[in-house]
Amino acid sequence: MILFSLFLILMILISLSLGYIKIPMMDIISILYGKISNNIQIMKNINETYIAVIFDVRLPRILTCAAVGAALAVSGALFQGILLNPLADPYTLGVSAGAAFGACIAILLNLSAAFVSVPAFAFTGACITLFLVIFLSYSSRNPMAGLSSNNLILSGIIVAAILSAGISFLKFIANEQVSVIIFWLMGSFASKTWLDFIAVMIFLLIGLFISMFFARDLNLISLGAKSATSLGVNLKKVTIILLVTGSMLAAICVSVSGIIGFVGLLIPHTVRFITGPDNRKLIPLSMLAGAFLLLFADTITRAVLPHEIPIGVLTALTGGPVFCWIFKKNRFK
Amino acid sequence: MKLNLHNISFAYDHDRILKNINSSFISGNFYSIIGPNGSGKTTLLDLISGFLKPGTGHIDIDHVPISSLATKEIAKKVALVSQDYIINFPFSVKDVVMMGRHPYISRFSHPCAGDIKKVAIMMEVTGILHLQDRKINELSGGERQRCVFARALCQDTPILLLDEAFSNMDINHTLQMLALVKQSVKEKNKLVISVFHDLNLASSWSDALLMLKNGEIKAFGNSQDVLTQQTIKDVFNVESIVEFNKHAQAKQVYYPSI
Repeated sequence: MILFSLFLILMILISLSLGYIKIPMMDIISILYGKISNNIQIMKNINETYIAVIFDVRLPRILTCAAVGAALAVSGALFQGILLNPLADPYTLGVSAGAAFGACIAILLNLSAAFVSVPAFAFTGACITLFLVIFLSYSSRNPMAGLSSNNLILSGIIVAAILSAGISFLKFIANEQVSVIIFWLMGSFASKTWLDFIAVMIFLLIGLFISMFFARDLNLISLGAKSATSLGVNLKKVTIILLVTGSMLAAICVSVSGIIGFVGLLIPHTVRFITGPDNRKLIPLSMLAGAFLLLFADTITRAVLPHEIPIGVLTALTGGPVFCWIFKKNRFK
Repeated sequence: MKLNLHNISFAYDHDRILKNINSSFISGNFYSIIGPNGSGKTTLLDLISGFLKPGTGHIDIDHVPISSLATKEIAKKVALVSQDYIINFPFSVKDVVMMGRHPYISRFSHPCAGDIKKVAIMMEVTGILHLQDRKINELSGGERQRCVFARALCQDTPILLLDEAFSNMDINHTLQMLALVKQSVKEKNKLVISVFHDLNLASSWSDALLMLKNGEIKAFGNSQDVLTQQTIKDVFNVESIVEFNKHAQAKQVYYPSI
């Protein structure tokens, strides 16, 4: 845990120094230390541009990226636990399709203040989708069988299929705005602000607290519905609370940065090989690993590659093959 | 302690699984439920454990209705060894047995020395101590059942429900587990209700038998009184010979070969 935190802090520092303007590591540490301790003396002999680049451009982007990576990984761990499926991810219930649909509408309507309206619409879309999926898979007559993982996955797939057809239709009627939609869908952390970071961070902290609160119940759920109930888990309550928590985490991520695949699937799955299936260890460690990995990917696309490519594309292109390798290796060990 | 079922009915959609069940179970006794497939045996246990809610009627423990208790409170009174012992994630045997202590460990706290000791004892008596670090999904069916059994014992409840808890165990382990259960009934005054398919085991180990058919009680009483050629014919529709066996110290059932 401490090791992972150190890795993450190191990654943030490295990431801060890399980019169009290279900033020496010593200056970064001085700037950060100066700012935290409110000691202006330290920052005196450092280039003004560096300070501006770090605080107005890089730090918000880097921190947002790390927070999104963390939130996606926690969300993925929750979904894998509730749906009893190590291959579930934050988008299994169609949250991403809902968010994308909302964002498309906002882009299409060409609302003013796009930087607020697009995330707001995306978030609303994600929430409506979530409640639709829960409504579809819930049965008042037999509530226990109602929220079973099969029902949830099936409802999620149906709703997502309808929504992606809807997105295609919106793209079709969008004319010249189609490129905006496509770029938004691919995900990016370019020009993220402190506001984005604070929004994600609030959700992340609340989400992490709720997941840790129910982490042991989540362990018991993997014993099966009947055993979990007989051991004192209020299955219906815990399932709904964790579904909403996981989906809200995914929704805020999609709203802020578009659809970024594979972090939510790959990270909890891989971390489980290190920690074992105990969610009390899996969730916090996934959070750190998710933040690290997404920041690593974002730093590569921002600072290393000659041309910035959408982060969603990069994670899927690199994460996919890595996942195939892990999957194959552990399957036939 | 007394467990009472008052006029219990239960239905999935329109299929009535249980019809007007009235009965009482008193602690210090080992009860067995026998009956053909689909007669409602598992459903009856699910209702007592609070997993399902009865359509009509109510269940109480010493006049406290279980519907008034939180899930966690029921878990301190009733433990269930169910048939769903397929576990989706690779928890170690020790972790699974420790989950039996879940109702007693408050959130964010770790198991205390007493919990750890209890888990070790239960793994010892169920003969799975040597498997404690193995992953549950790598074990055989019988070994997994013994883990679930140990977990239920760790729950330390006055009422223990066994839903074909021995179905995958060899005869040696079956007898060991039965002796363990019988001992806790006699020495700790526990109440055990077990679903059995093997009529001979049910007869020689239990104090009372409850025969279910089509969701109704066909017979309920002292094992040696209830088990007769006629009741077996009525409930299972098979011909049999029932006679007292001095080795088993109980009635045993034989089926004539065709």
